[in-house]
Formats: sequence, C-alpha cells, structure tokens
Amino acid sequence: MDLDKLRETAAEVAAREDVKYLIGWKKGSYGYRVAPGFVEEAEGAAGLIFSPLCTANLATYLTLVEKLPLPRGQEPDKRKVALMVKGCDSRAVAQLLVEKGIHRDEVVVIGCPCPGMVDPDLLGEKYPETEEPAEVKWSDDGFIIVRDGEETAVPRDELLAEKCRLCRYPNPVISDIMLGDPVDTWDPAEDEGVSEVEDKDVDGRWAYWQEQFSNCIRCYSCRNVCPLCYCQDCILDRLNPTWVNRSVNFSENTAFNIARAFHLAGRCIECGECERVCPANIPLGKLNRKLAREVRDKYGFEPGLDPEAEPFQASFKPDDPEDFIL
Amino acid sequence: MSAMLLKKEKWPDFVGKLTGKKVWAPQGEGEEMRFAPVNEGEAPDLAYGNTRVPPKQAVFPQTETMFRFQVDGKEIEEPQLDQETVLLGVRPCDARSMAIVDKLFGWDEDDPYYFKRRELVTLVGLACSEPGINCFCTSVGGGPAATEGLDLLMTDLGEDYLLEAVTEKGELLLKEAGDILEEAGDDRYKEKEKLAEAAAQKIKRSVDHEGIPEGLPGLWEDPLWQRVSASCLGCGTCTFLCPTCHCFDIQDEVEGFAARRCRMWDSCMFNEYSLHTSGHNPRPSRRERTRNRINHKYSYYVDKFDVIACVGCGRCINLCPVNIDIVEILRQVKEAL
Repeated sequence: MDLDKLRETAAEVAAREDVKYLIGWKKGSYGYRVAPGFVEEAEGAAGLIFSPLCTANLATYLTLVEKLPLPRGQEPDKRKVALMVKGCDSRAVAQLLVEKGIHRDEVVVIGCPCPGMVDPDLLGEKYPETEEPAEVKWSDDGFIIVRDGEETAVPRDELLAEKCRLCRYPNPVISDIMLGDPVDTWDPAEDEGVSEVEDKDVDGRWAYWQEQFSNCIRCYSCRNVCPLCYCQDCILDRLNPTWVNRSVNFSENTAFNIARAFHLAGRCIECGECERVCPANIPLGKLNRKLAREVRDKYGFEPGLDPEAEPFQASFKPDDPEDFIL
Repeated sequence: MSAMLLKKEKWPDFVGKLTGKKVWAPQGEGEEMRFAPVNEGEAPDLAYGNTRVPPKQAVFPQTETMFRFQVDGKEIEEPQLDQETVLLGVRPCDARSMAIVDKLFGWDEDDPYYFKRRELVTLVGLACSEPGINCFCTSVGGGPAATEGLDLLMTDLGEDYLLEAVTEKGELLLKEAGDILEEAGDDRYKEKEKLAEAAAQKIKRSVDHEGIPEGLPGLWEDPLWQRVSASCLGCGTCTFLCPTCHCFDIQDEVEGFAARRCRMWDSCMFNEYSLHTSGHNPRPSRRERTRNRINHKYSYYVDKFDVIACVGCGRCINLCPVNIDIVEILRQVKEAL
C-alpha cells in the first residue's frame, strides 16, 4: 500500500466539513505496537499507517462512543465518522448497517485491501518485542521485519495470523473510497481448530472448554473490543435481575462466554479481535467460528456481506428445513 | 535478618519442607497465567518473567465469600480462613504492591478478610534478573531486588539461590529448611548486589513523576484526557491485571433460599462502576474514567497514603488491547503541567 496516498486521502477526508474525525492506525508507543489513531485535523493524517500490524478492527469505535446528554440548547454533532477498514473490518460495518446499529450516512468508509496480518504472538516468539521502534512490511511473497535497523524477510506462512489464513474476504466489501487495487484472494485454510474441537466427544469438549473458561477473569475485553457487541444495556451488567453473577468461577464464566457466543451467532464476522485481546488466552475464535460454521452450513448465511440483507436471527422462512428440531 | 545459600539441586527439598502449608507458584502453559496451588511433591520451576494476573488474588481474591445465609433465616455462616499459604517466586514489584495496598485496607478500619489472608500468607520473592520490556519499577520506588512487602527474597546466583529473610516469617522459613541451607559468605552477597544493579540497568522505561501528584488535579479539564482515552475500549484488563488496583463491589448471590454475600474485583473502567441508582453517572465516559485511573494512582493515593499506587510492573501496558500506555500518559501529564 502506498502510504503517501493513504495519508493524502485521509487528510482530505479529515478536512471535510461533514466529517467529525477519522479513525485509522498509527504507530504505537514502542516496538511493533500499533494504536488506533483519531484524526480531527488534516495534519494528523501524517502519522497514519497501514501495515501487517494493523490488526485492530476499528469498526468497534462506531458504537463505542458514549452519547452523553447535551447542555440545553446545544445541537448534537451530526457529522460523519470516517473509518479505515480491512476486509474483515468492512464486514463489521456492513453487519452494523444490517442491524441499523449505524446508518450509512453516518460513516465514510475508507477501504484498505489487506494482504493479511501477522500474528503478534508468533512474531514476538521469533523476533522478540523491542523498546526501539520496529515494524513489519509486506513483500511480494511474505513479510519484512524491520528491527534494530535490520530487515529480515520472512515467508508469509510463518507469521500469518490464523484469522487471515481462514479469511475469505481480504478486500473490503463496502467502501466509499478504496485505497489501491484489490488484493488477490487466496484459498482459505481448513479451520482445523474448530474441527479438532468438533471431533472430541461431549465429555472431551466439556473438559476442553472447562479448562479454557476457568482462566477467564471477566475483564470483558472480548465484549468491548467486539464491533458487534454493542447493546446499550448488556445482560452482563444487569443487577436486577442478575442474569450472570459477577463472581468469577467456572459456572458464571461459562454462562458469560456461551451467552456472548450465542448472541453473535450469524453476526460474528470473524475479525478475531476477541481472541487477540483476551489476556487469558482463551481461544474465543474457535467458539465464534464454530457458530459461524453452523450458520453457514445449516442456513447458507454469512453475515456482513450485504448491508441490505435481512438480519439472520430476525428472519424466518416457511421453507426452512429445521431438521435439527426433534 | 539472616542470609543463607540454597543449592539449586536442593530446591525440591526446600519446597518439600513447607509441609502443612499450601504452596502457590506461577502456573500456566507457556506464558505464566497466574499463581495457583502447586501439587504436593512438585517443585515449581521459577524460570519465568512475571505472571499475567498478579498474586494479589492470594490476599484479595477476585471473588471472596464474606458469609453465607438463608434468605428466610437470621443466621450467617462465615467461611473459616486458616490455611497457611506460601507464595513462591513473587516478583518484588508485586510484593511491594501488597505493602502499598495494606495502607488502604488498614486505613480507617482494618479489613478483616484482607488482613486475615495477609497474616496467613508468606511471600517468598524472586529478584528479577531480566526485567520485562515495560518494567519501570525503579521510577516509582521499587527495584529488581526490592524487599518491601516480602518475607523472604531469593536471588538466582547461577548454581545457588541466595535466601535473605526480610521478616520473622521469612526467618522461620529459613529455620524450618534447616541443614539443607548453607551459610552465605560476603562474596555471594556482593554478587547479588551486582546482579540487582545490572538488572536495574536493563530497565529502559521510566516515569518522571516529580510534580505530578500535586499537579494532576489542576489538569482536570485538560484536553489530554480526551486524547489519551479516545481509543480506550472500557474493558477491565488494565485494572484487573494491576497489582495495586483494589476496588471491589459487594453483591448477594441467591440460589433458591441459599445465599451468599461476596465481594469481587470491580473496575473503575466499567461504565456501571460509578453509576448511581438515579441513573446519573459522575464519570459518564471513558475520558472521566481514564482520568480517574491515573488520578487515583498518581495523586489521590499519594495525597492520602504518601505513596504512588503504581509499582511499575508494566502489565497494563503489555496487555492493553489498544496500546494505552501509562508511561506515555504520564509523559503527557508532565508536559501539560
């Protein structure tokens, strides 16, 4: 991707009168880190980047903004939010449009065709995090790591993030402005992670998830980072009645994790953010991808592709086979 | 207080001598997740950086049952706390955090749950030789071999561990270990000092907090808070993984007629943390919540207890999903003063 073009476009968009701010990615505070960048003035666009480290799905910020009561007489700021999206991120925007979580005239979508992100854990294992600025770039057939003033070429398969191996939509599915040409798509890998869990018997699956959910500390980073977990009144925060106790143990942790997975069935766009941010390393992607697989296989439905689609969980067809109902 | 030498091959014997006490050590695959009970007869491997979840849970569990009761009854049943626990391999920053949090729990009334556990816990520390990338303990009053909060400090000297008692509890452990220990000569002590110095040199990050505790309240409406909190997700990672964060909520959990009152970690980064019954929220957005997190650690706590409520362990920086970096925030605070 041409960074000059990206910054030039971002500066133009940020300067637009109908745009409140633009959200993109910028260099983080040290090492490989990348942080979300909020650009209000054209000058701020100079710090924006797009690299294999821009894993964060910025679509979550569309619904994360607190709508505070305004002082009497003050009009709400109705300007648009501009957002840079990869393929997976754009699906979150499309799904939000389907659900009317946002409206089309509230956003300016800047599409970034994505050749695939690196897995930050794999990267850190092989090329440890450093306090000096470091970066990763795309090459024709892989990645180039720039660290300690040295460039190291690494084959794509060595560091490609799992969600990107499985990715079917690297090019943004909706956008107002597209940066660069679409990338060539690749054959998505078989989702062995999900298959492995499916192949276990009931006891095996129970034992597997028991071990995983026992580690949960209920920080809710998975919920908060998720662009599609945006209920104003989440059942997890409810105290009267209490649907899920705040106490942290296997039972409550399981209730929380299963509730979230179910609520995302037919809605999860597989951006992998939940798994990336989990401080307890719970393989949440497997859980959500399992439900996505079920919805795909049983209903032939994939969320976040068509902003005009009927929401999966709110649709009914008389000719549904319903062969799972006993 | 005395210092002794433990040959590394005798480490399992040392752990074996801790009979009658529950032993906790860093547990987890790959990256150590948290302190958890060690199986009897096993000697934990202490080659690790630091746990993701701090050992504060040994004295301040994430969920603590205060008492059980029947909804229609008048009796309460309090859980018995009498299990002595030894934590092996506590990093000096995490031990220091307990010394800091002691002040809060002992402020007006002594918190019985906290201090009962504190009494039952013996903290065996392990000096750091390879500080993490985001460690900045030396800026906030700690150090790779600091002893505050610890009962016993261990230092890895290659073939041996140097064991230094810090408190009576630590002395007792040395006494119980008895003849598997050897006298430590002055040279070994000097070796340790050198290692600690070398470890401190490896710490790259720092915070210049001079003027910050007094200056923070004056920055109440500064635009910096909007800037540093814009990308915050409002999750509890930074606070739950913070060794000094100590906020809790108390709730009753009822199943049928059986109920318990328990307290659990709470996070000032959550929306409902400061939500009033009326629906009013004095910290309505992530801007105010972030401001509170920094103010609490670097101003209110200093004002009240004369110590910064941050030990520089770097966990909040390591694990923030969106790279909100407390060192960077404090740099901006300093700049705005």
